Amino acid sequence: MNRPAPTPTNLNPLSIALRIVAVVLAATWAAHLIRDALNLTIMPANEQQVHRAIMLGTVAYIGLLALPFVPGAEIGIAMLTAFGAAIAPLVYAATVIAMLLSYTLGRLLPIAALARLLTFLRMRRAADLVMRAAPLSQDARLAILLEGSPPRTLALALRHRYLALALSVNIPGNAVIGGGGGIMIMAGLSGLFSPLPTALTIAIAVAPVPLAVMLFGA
Amino acid sequence: MTPTLQAAAIGVAALGTGATAVTLMNEDVPDLAVPAGPWEAGTELDGRVFRLSSLVKESGEVLDETKLSFADGRFQSSRCQIYCDFGWSSYQTWTEGEVTHFAATTHCPDAPHTVVWYGTVEGDELHFEGTWTTRRWYWTRQINVIGDGSPVGPGGEAISG
Repeated sequence: MNRPAPTPTNLNPLSIALRIVAVVLAATWAAHLIRDALNLTIMPANEQQVHRAIMLGTVAYIGLLALPFVPGAEIGIAMLTAFGAAIAPLVYAATVIAMLLSYTLGRLLPIAALARLLTFLRMRRAADLVMRAAPLSQDARLAILLEGSPPRTLALALRHRYLALALSVNIPGNAVIGGGGGIMIMAGLSGLFSPLPTALTIAIAVAPVPLAVMLFGA
Repeated sequence: MTPTLQAAAIGVAALGTGATAVTLMNEDVPDLAVPAGPWEAGTELDGRVFRLSSLVKESGEVLDETKLSFADGRFQSSRCQIYCDFGWSSYQTWTEGEVTHFAATTHCPDAPHTVVWYGTVEGDELHFEGTWTTRRWYWTRQINVIGDGSPVGPGGEAISG
């Protein structure tokens, strides 16, 4: 049975970029307010517990963010909100690592093994996504990766696929196709994205929020 | 190399690169700068114990009462002992008229905490400032503390008069 096609939006890349900037500014401002309200001070008495919580949170963040259809970004946002600019480099690096982990899984693991792994983890939707991509050509897999994206993004993808990848991981609502983890697994599966340019693309694509927090000192 | 091993190798490389990048981005915060002076290993304050009242400069938070003990050329803060088992640390002094300047740098053996103390004792009055700096691989945090102290007897009772 054919799946219903996602409804394309009328957003163009510039509009998406402007929305991202607006969301980043709003999120930074909100983080300021929440952090002031929490009044979370790291003192000698609690530093070790905070450190353990940060390490645990970072591992969970990387693991969850790398998995398709699993909410993980909230952990990073919570860490940025609670600890502000000081934690931004760690959140940024963890985000890049999670994205590259997904990409690596998609690129290197045999597709059947990946589907079995996701099934074993009780991630049926993610496994379905992988199995759906298995028989498709590279271009068709790229089309899955960009499902729900604006038509202009699709056209852009044909000419500038790394730019399209950067936009895809930032498009609000990309959870429909598995979020950042799902997109990166598909990018790996497609075989269209080389490791180094992909790493550079992701390093730039996930920078706006941590960078804004660092610059504005939330 | 099998794809699984390649994936594992790339994962390890990504983790290593990420951790290195975070460490390089981590800006150090210098410890308290102790004023220059003819510092020498201290013994002048041996046998004295002070009860400290102190607060965090950044937040104004008043810290729990601390007992600072000097003995055998070393000193110990009761509060630091609770936070992390710092043990006894050597201290340095120099004397300027009636004022004895003291300074010490202590390290927590179980965590990357460094505490730098600088203070003066004149008669029964102790004034001090210090920094508690925690240097984790992903960030450096510091609190600045200032406070005063008054002498107590070996059993902890206040000495008056």
